[in-house]
Amino acid sequence: MNRWGCDSFCESLARRHFLRVGSLSLVGIHLGQYLEMKSLMAASGVKASPAKAQACILLLLEGGPSQVDTWDPKPSSGFRPIGTNVPGIQVSEILPRMARHMDKLSIIRSMTHEEVDHPLGREYITSGHRPAPAMEFASVGSIIARELGPRNDIPPYVLGAPHLTQSYYRASSLGAAYNPLVVPDPSKKDFKLKDLTLPKSITEKRIEDRRGFLQVVDDLYRRKEVLTEAAARETFRDKAMEMILSPAMKKAFDLSQESETTKGAYGRYGFGQSALLARRLVEAGSRFVTAAGYNLDSGWDTHGRGSGGENDKKLRALLCPTLDQTLTALLVDLEQRGLLESTIVMAMGEFGRTPEINPINGRDHWPFCWSMVLGGGGLQGGQVIGASDERGGYVAERPISVGDVFATIYKAMGIDWTKEYMTPVGRPIKIANSFDDTTGRPIEELI
Amino acid sequence: MKDRMDRMRTGNRRLGRIGRTLSGSGLCRIGLLIGLLAWPAPLRSAALKTDAESSAAARLLSVRLLPKEVQLRGKGAAQRLLVIGTYSDGLERDLTEASRFSIAEPTLAEIDVRGRVRARSDGRTLLTVQSAGQVLQASVRVRDSAVSRPLRFDRDITRILTKRGCNSTECHGSVTGQGGFKLSKNAAAPREDYGWIVEGGAFHVLTTETGEKAPRVNLEDPARSLLLLKASLAVPHGGGERLEKDSRDYRRMVDWIAGGAVYGSENGARSAPLERVVVTPGQVVLQKGGERQLLVTAHWADGAREDVTSQVRYLSNNPEVVSVGPDGRLTGRHPGETAIQVLAGGQSASATVGVIEAPVAAYPEVPRHNFIDDLVFAKARKFHLVPSALSSDAEFLRRLCLDLTGRLPPVHRVRQFLADPDPQKRTRLIDLLLRTPEFVDHWSWRFYDFLRVISPVYKDWVRRAIAENKPYDQFARERVAAQGFDGPSRHYEDMGGTAVPLPQNAMGEQVRVFLGRRMDCAQCHDHPYESWSQDQFWGLTAFFGRLSNLHPGFPQVDFVIMDDPEGYGTFGKGAKVIHPRTKQEVQPSFLDGSAVPEDRRDDWRLALAEWMTSPENPYFAPAMANRMWGYFFGRGIVDPVDDFRSNNLATHPRLLEALARYFVRSGYDLRSLIRLMVESRTYQLSGEPNPTNRTDRVNYSRALPRPLESEVLLRAISHVSGVTGEDGNFFNVYGKPDLSYIPERDMQPSLLQALHQLAGPTFTAKLSREGGRVDRLLQRNASDEAIIEELYLAALCRFPTEAEQAALKDMIRRRDSRREAVEDLLWAVVNSEQFLNNH
Repeated sequence: MNRWGCDSFCESLARRHFLRVGSLSLVGIHLGQYLEMKSLMAASGVKASPAKAQACILLLLEGGPSQVDTWDPKPSSGFRPIGTNVPGIQVSEILPRMARHMDKLSIIRSMTHEEVDHPLGREYITSGHRPAPAMEFASVGSIIARELGPRNDIPPYVLGAPHLTQSYYRASSLGAAYNPLVVPDPSKKDFKLKDLTLPKSITEKRIEDRRGFLQVVDDLYRRKEVLTEAAARETFRDKAMEMILSPAMKKAFDLSQESETTKGAYGRYGFGQSALLARRLVEAGSRFVTAAGYNLDSGWDTHGRGSGGENDKKLRALLCPTLDQTLTALLVDLEQRGLLESTIVMAMGEFGRTPEINPINGRDHWPFCWSMVLGGGGLQGGQVIGASDERGGYVAERPISVGDVFATIYKAMGIDWTKEYMTPVGRPIKIANSFDDTTGRPIEELI
Repeated sequence: MKDRMDRMRTGNRRLGRIGRTLSGSGLCRIGLLIGLLAWPAPLRSAALKTDAESSAAARLLSVRLLPKEVQLRGKGAAQRLLVIGTYSDGLERDLTEASRFSIAEPTLAEIDVRGRVRARSDGRTLLTVQSAGQVLQASVRVRDSAVSRPLRFDRDITRILTKRGCNSTECHGSVTGQGGFKLSKNAAAPREDYGWIVEGGAFHVLTTETGEKAPRVNLEDPARSLLLLKASLAVPHGGGERLEKDSRDYRRMVDWIAGGAVYGSENGARSAPLERVVVTPGQVVLQKGGERQLLVTAHWADGAREDVTSQVRYLSNNPEVVSVGPDGRLTGRHPGETAIQVLAGGQSASATVGVIEAPVAAYPEVPRHNFIDDLVFAKARKFHLVPSALSSDAEFLRRLCLDLTGRLPPVHRVRQFLADPDPQKRTRLIDLLLRTPEFVDHWSWRFYDFLRVISPVYKDWVRRAIAENKPYDQFARERVAAQGFDGPSRHYEDMGGTAVPLPQNAMGEQVRVFLGRRMDCAQCHDHPYESWSQDQFWGLTAFFGRLSNLHPGFPQVDFVIMDDPEGYGTFGKGAKVIHPRTKQEVQPSFLDGSAVPEDRRDDWRLALAEWMTSPENPYFAPAMANRMWGYFFGRGIVDPVDDFRSNNLATHPRLLEALARYFVRSGYDLRSLIRLMVESRTYQLSGEPNPTNRTDRVNYSRALPRPLESEVLLRAISHVSGVTGEDGNFFNVYGKPDLSYIPERDMQPSLLQALHQLAGPTFTAKLSREGGRVDRLLQRNASDEAIIEELYLAALCRFPTEAEQAALKDMIRRRDSRREAVEDLLWAVVNSEQFLNNH
């Protein structure tokens, strides 16, 4: 890949950054829709799913990790392959902890799509659809939220990073009710769910008084104008009050209840604490939680010197150690708590990277063949699905689409993966969309 | 926890009592009584009647017969007659069933009791109708009565496929077809449909490959044709039974196949194509519970007509308002307005239907300010909606300030305006506000919003255009044809994540913004609900096929847009625009298929811009007139404003035409268009409903509340609280759109907003900040009464009523902390419905 792609990514990042300087801090919490959804769920009578998998955690490796330097070791990598606790499976030497837990996850080495730019690639991996200008596709998290509904009054779809504001993480035509709750960076000292905490001066009694005044002020107008919105606002205020007072919500988001040892085990950086929060939320009842934190310093976007960092150096010093530590900690923690059987864990980026090192010691975008790992939630670990060619550049065996991965997750969670949703303009959209507009197929070896 | 919730609920009940005490105080009741008394007697009594009662009460004025003359051509040709009475209450009613029919020469044609004439032998005669004591006559002409028409695919079979729903978008008419069998929606492309049926094969979206072909008809044994076996459910069919075996349509299909399954007119029969179908009446007003029959006539290019009322498919856009039977019989269900779509194999038409509660006999004279009122009130008259009274000065002041400047007026200005006795004060205010810098601010922001303006130089350019009142056609041309790195060229940077947008995205955005249409569906396949074809989409796209960025590298200040003859992309990339199905390079062509003239091959985009903005372009001026209307009236005449479609009908088509004409004649003068709208009485009507228009949402017979957009709302809250700035989560929860992605605003209330209202800084810290309005009022030792009055004037532009004053004063007095009480009142004011809406 040429480096133009990188520049445009950097540019677009820089531009977005500029745009959102003000808004980053605003996107504190996107809680609301959850209860709206709950009421919709109640109305449509969604039942508890009998399937094994109850929740899914996505570790988002932003920037796109190099497949040959992680899960698909090749001679073109600057790292040696090492054996794992599963005979016959090798990974890169810079993932030593994961090598001891390879039985918990399976590797797919033949992931493939066509989008070479970051935003489009991310849209692809969150929706399973090739981005099209006229369509906003619903994210997999929104679909799972809609299909399974909440557990224990905890928001079902949570995005563990405030910078993930793009529309492709949202519900699009499924309706705002299935949008994610966006939480701030949990590794920050002032991590707090803003609108869920009443200031000291505002007591419950005062909220009652305020609503009393409101009734008087609006009385004349409400009798003149029939507003469905007004009734909705009333209902939401009741529910909001309930939520502000709910101890379960507060507890789910309160990382201070974790021991220092646990926090340290996950890693005291954005990605690690985001994964820890994901575990707390899944434990409390969330269905799909995206943990992130590789948005800083170009993340896995290792184009080379001065452009996202030199690939081998950055992988060895920063990226793989943090991924190795956090992913291992998450798997072990889930297992110890008996949650691994009911929680799918997957880790992927928006694509892979070129099999060859470029002149500035980097690797560029490469969507044509890349790797990801997944396991837990009853999925069979310790396997390798598909294969790349000898350079790790193209799929040699069994191309797997994002839609196939989604179909696998849906099946594990008891969701009919062949389902289609209709958009408001009557276009059917597959919830698991594979190559050439076909329906994704669950990966049989995993289930 | 539970305790606390219970206490809250009890609290609410107690508050409920306060509300009731207030309403019981007498004042409001008196107000209501005055409201009723102000209405003339016929308006009050009308509401109690059913259709039958009101028709018995009304006087029959005249009776007419449809069609006026009957043409019957071909063996067995038939025509349905309608007898319609016009009544003194302004309604029309269907008298067909109560009429008696006879024909002068029964050997030429026969007529049954339901008013259906059928051809027997050639000649001319006269039919007579007796209805409600009146006698009507119509001529009948019978031709070719011995000629039986051979069945043709393009006329007879497409009609059956349409009527039976086979080619609807839910079935084989969907973009990808169903079960491998694809038909064009409503037989829009009969040639292709014919191929899929007679030759077979499966349609694919991304390639022209069809796979193995097996005909769906069996010429040897027509009844064994897959087409019929499936449709009659003789073999499993996902769509169920669509065609009962041995029904008339089934037999026609068999006959067609037996006759060789011909496509069209090649074998000598009448060759004129179908020109259009016409629905009569095109506009229907029904009383709730009333019924009406539609008549659908096919017009052939050679002037011949054919009654196809029972051979078309009817769809009600809102069956809650009007339901329609398979033969075109309408029933009014609930008051409202909707359209009935008529699909007739390749052609479509529609009728607008209004359902009213009861007719208004003594309809008052309503004053008019300009042509907007002529057209709006004419339709309101027809639909028996009496426009509300003129707005109060307070209503008008708040509405106009919010619409023209996005701001609430200062308290002293409110007092001044309300006290001003000048009868011309409204016009003076309009003049004044149109010249304010706040007008430029607000309308620049509106343009940033719909054009999705992000980059600062581009913003400056838009702002200058608003300040100078640049003619809108010039504005559009400059944007579409923009080159270089000045303002408007930057919009090519703002779209999408990459430096230069893909040509199809750049085109789609221009068409959405300037022509009010969404062509995007046609990117991958012919538009399923519109006449846009995939070829048209790519033809327009090719105009942007040279869009490139002279991009010497980072940083992006060097972003320069130019047309590179080598092709699009970042400089040197030279990508071509390739048709996704044919895989051929596409040359630019206008929507009508015409190519760019030779001498314009160097500045394609300018040629496109000129075509788009020419006064003859049927889309440009109406699109903007409609968008502007939406800003002032809460909904577009076509709504949503950027979704013009053949099945998304204008509520007031003549008004839209007139506004567009006005806009063109004014030289695309936006301020002049704005002035026209806000000066109309329609805009200046009160929001106070009367018994006739309480449920009206589309006919502008009263002002409807429009939620304030997040930016305007925050400014209003800052104005009332006297504290500026945005805190925390406000824009996130009030739906400020992310301009780099979606142009839509989510205006729905949500739990998120409720949380922010209760605990968010905008509604807690901001209201009590030092130096704010509450603080200043208390420092000044203002009385409770003065405080209440000032908050009302600041937020609602009106004085509180005596009852409101009394109740609120009482509530403040009962509190321990006066400061807290006043803060709480402020909270209530800025969370009230009358504050959150422009009304």
